[in-house]
Amino acid sequence: MNRLLPLLASSAALLLGACTNDAPIPASHAASLSDTGGSRKGDFGPPQGEPIKAVLTSPPNVPPATNRNYPAKVVVELEVTEVDMEIAEGVTYTFWTFGGTVPGSFIRVRQGDTVEFRLKNHPSSKMPHNIDLHGVTGPGGGAASSFTAPGHQTQFTFKALNQGLYVYHCATAPVGMHVANGMYGLILVEPPEGLPPVDHEFYVMQGDFYTVGKYREKGHQAFDMQKAIDENASYVLFNGSETALTGPRALKAKVNQSVRMFIGNGGPNLVSSFHVIGEIFDKVQYEGGTRFQENVQTTLIPAGGAVTVEFHTEVPGNYVLVDHSIFRAFNKGALAILEVSGEERQEIYSGKQLDEMYIGDKLASLAPVAEAAKASTTGTLTKAQQMQAGAVLFKGTCSTCHQDTGQGLPNVFPPLAKSDYLLSDKNRAIAVVLNGLSGPVTVNGAQYNSVMPPMSQLNDDEVANILTYALNSWGNSDGTVTADEVAKVRATTKRAEGAAH
Amino acid sequence: MKKLMRHRRYLAALALMLVSLGHAESPDTPAAPAIPGGSFESVLPPAPSVKNVRIQPFRLDRTPVTNEQFATFLRTHPQWRRDRVAKVFADEQYLSHWQAPLDPGQENLRRPVVHVSWFAATAYCEAQGARLPRWHEWEYVAAASDRQRDARNDPAWRQQILSWYSRSGRGPLPAVGGTTANAFGIQDLHGVIWEWVEDAGGMLVSSDNREQSSADVMRFCGEGALTMEQKENYATLMRIAMLSSMKARYTSATMGFRCASDVRTGS
Amino acid sequence: MKRLLFALLLLATVVRADTAGSIYQVAAALADQSGVLRRMDVYQGHPVLVTMFYGSCPMACPLLIDTLRATERAAPASERSQLRLLLISIDPERDTVANLKALGESRKLDPTRWTLARTDAASVRKIAAVLGIQYRKLPDGGYNHSSIVTLLDANGEIQYQSSVLGKADPELLTALDRITQPARAQRQVAEPSVR
Repeated sequence: MNRLLPLLASSAALLLGACTNDAPIPASHAASLSDTGGSRKGDFGPPQGEPIKAVLTSPPNVPPATNRNYPAKVVVELEVTEVDMEIAEGVTYTFWTFGGTVPGSFIRVRQGDTVEFRLKNHPSSKMPHNIDLHGVTGPGGGAASSFTAPGHQTQFTFKALNQGLYVYHCATAPVGMHVANGMYGLILVEPPEGLPPVDHEFYVMQGDFYTVGKYREKGHQAFDMQKAIDENASYVLFNGSETALTGPRALKAKVNQSVRMFIGNGGPNLVSSFHVIGEIFDKVQYEGGTRFQENVQTTLIPAGGAVTVEFHTEVPGNYVLVDHSIFRAFNKGALAILEVSGEERQEIYSGKQLDEMYIGDKLASLAPVAEAAKASTTGTLTKAQQMQAGAVLFKGTCSTCHQDTGQGLPNVFPPLAKSDYLLSDKNRAIAVVLNGLSGPVTVNGAQYNSVMPPMSQLNDDEVANILTYALNSWGNSDGTVTADEVAKVRATTKRAEGAAH
Repeated sequence: MKKLMRHRRYLAALALMLVSLGHAESPDTPAAPAIPGGSFESVLPPAPSVKNVRIQPFRLDRTPVTNEQFATFLRTHPQWRRDRVAKVFADEQYLSHWQAPLDPGQENLRRPVVHVSWFAATAYCEAQGARLPRWHEWEYVAAASDRQRDARNDPAWRQQILSWYSRSGRGPLPAVGGTTANAFGIQDLHGVIWEWVEDAGGMLVSSDNREQSSADVMRFCGEGALTMEQKENYATLMRIAMLSSMKARYTSATMGFRCASDVRTGS
Repeated sequence: MKRLLFALLLLATVVRADTAGSIYQVAAALADQSGVLRRMDVYQGHPVLVTMFYGSCPMACPLLIDTLRATERAAPASERSQLRLLLISIDPERDTVANLKALGESRKLDPTRWTLARTDAASVRKIAAVLGIQYRKLPDGGYNHSSIVTLLDANGEIQYQSSVLGKADPELLTALDRITQPARAQRQVAEPSVR
């Protein structure tokens, strides 16, 4: 078999020219202390021990850590198949795959390993295929050496000199089409010391897809060359399908766990603004490299690039993975879900504490209030103006408890409509608005024991208008309250603690 | 002496072949219509400085060779049966879809023969007094839609061709002659199978087509690798990629062939 | 030692099982530089280095001949005496028998061990196909072709293919060594009493 290798390599004789990197290697710089040394320090000598057959996993799963402290010979066998699969519900597409899935099988080796790579092209394939691994040092990343006709297999060997997370993809003409059909995946070259253990490792890859039919148009969809050239994606997806990581197939973790995600972007065209809604990446090894950034919201993943993100789960719930070029998320499918289960942590995130009326456009809706205030200063304020201003203010200030109908809530908030408590003592009513009320009260024969906060944000005009509105609504008919009356009560009662007015 | 005898027998066989030439054809749907010559801009220019290819008049089979036709050939050329073929001329998948060495199976009779090597295809055409079409001939005829002889710039036609590649190759092949004849009167050039060409071993494109640079004269005499033109002509680029991935003894479930022959001047 | 030899023999068997069989099955009629009609198996029984070229080639083909000579020189004498060299033209139009003879003489190629041959165009394609050599005629009459030197064993099966040009490929020499070794090994095993 060894002897066949040079024979295969001889096809490399056909590789003409190209990719000639003639730039002189700069004289070695004074390496900073934390340099890994790159490929120059990535050769740990010949492979040791028995050859190891690499464990390949389908997304979103990641193979176990190599757990080795020596360089080995690792045999990778990857099968290319062309298969019809769902790209969205009711929509099928013929994907070209490495290992039957999009993205292709995840490959995990250790820096310094000698990787014997066998590419098998299934007999049912229509196309020849090959593989360019970005983790390979050598011309074409293995492309020419792995060019494989349908129903055949090829082999080449490389030493994984650089640690990092690398994209692999098919590079057969037309390259864009092979990539657009799903021919990409990730290979992780672990640093010699391995990666720190985490509770979960996930494998997710973004890709853009180009179909003749529109987004979600039912039936079998063909590749649209013109849309691909125009970079006008029909779908932007995580793991090759709109439903790959949603519903029952969502990623799952528990609270108080550490999560590591190997995220790649196969392209062929689009750069990803990768973001997880509701999480902050504690650590991002951007561009799949060695350095990391901490406390990151959104990280860019170039087409043909990858990133490792790590975070810790604190609060249960659904976390949505998106491309934050956000139309892609909501109109082209770039959504995936991480379900985190476990105990609520309200001290970190309370959930909804308030849901109430909010008057959005204050200037417009508060126009009657302004008008009433103006009329008050010129002495021309009418009862109708007071009612209009009071209605607006009541809605924003009082209706949450006393309700728009003035009926209050039985046993909780007392009514204002036909309220003996309100109607029997105007000055007491003013004082309650200004200073609040706590402790038991009897209204229309019923006992209430709630707390009403002081409405200290209201000025005298506003209190007068609210009370005029209350005294003349829901069947009440009991005169008006003036700003002067409010001012008198305000002057004679003790100001509420902390009132800012 | 023994060697000489063998040699003589070989020459005799060759002479026999030359005698048994000729296609039966009716005037309405000729089995191998004559293709007029012409000048043609190929995806694979003959040399970096030469854009146009001159195509001489030739004849091309209207449809790909069927399993039935190939089985007939095997009865007179048993050295190409799957159980007798030399390994140097065909891989292990050669005619593997047949029921028996001489029996394609009823359902396969009208389907194009596939799982045939370049050597076997060449031998078949030689036995008919013909040859495989050359790449430029194939490309020239395959550029035609049903209306135009060169429809390569028609986006609708291009997309229609691409739709074949958007289906997986797992289903059964259709019978030959199922597609509309093109402007040259030829059928099934697209949407059915790949096809061997005479110069399949001379595509001279790099196995890594992303390398676009010019020749490495140490590897090649002459001007080196050809650069592929017409980068948006995906259907043709894929043909070239497929052909360049196949060694002459390789076979595949979607690779078949048809024959061509020269047109004698004056006839 | 015996075990080692046995292992070597086994290895040779395994390799043979992987090869596609003898290329001598290509039914091509070759004419050598003397005009004698030959078949592909002109050197059956010998290890052969075979390649394809064209006589008017300005660059790689002279280099191909140099490469073959360098390989021949680098081989141990016992192997060199067995080795034969076969160059087949891809340009039957211009490479006539007379031209091939002139080329052989100008390059001082020993006609007892070197054959320069031409054949018909259809056979050129088949021979190129079994050797995995790609070629295409250029508009100016020249050719593009890949330069691959193939080592055949005594039966015409491909044992090694090299694209190293200008010097002897050490891997090729190792392969040559390997396919000439077993013959000696067999002799030794068969005649233990001689020693």
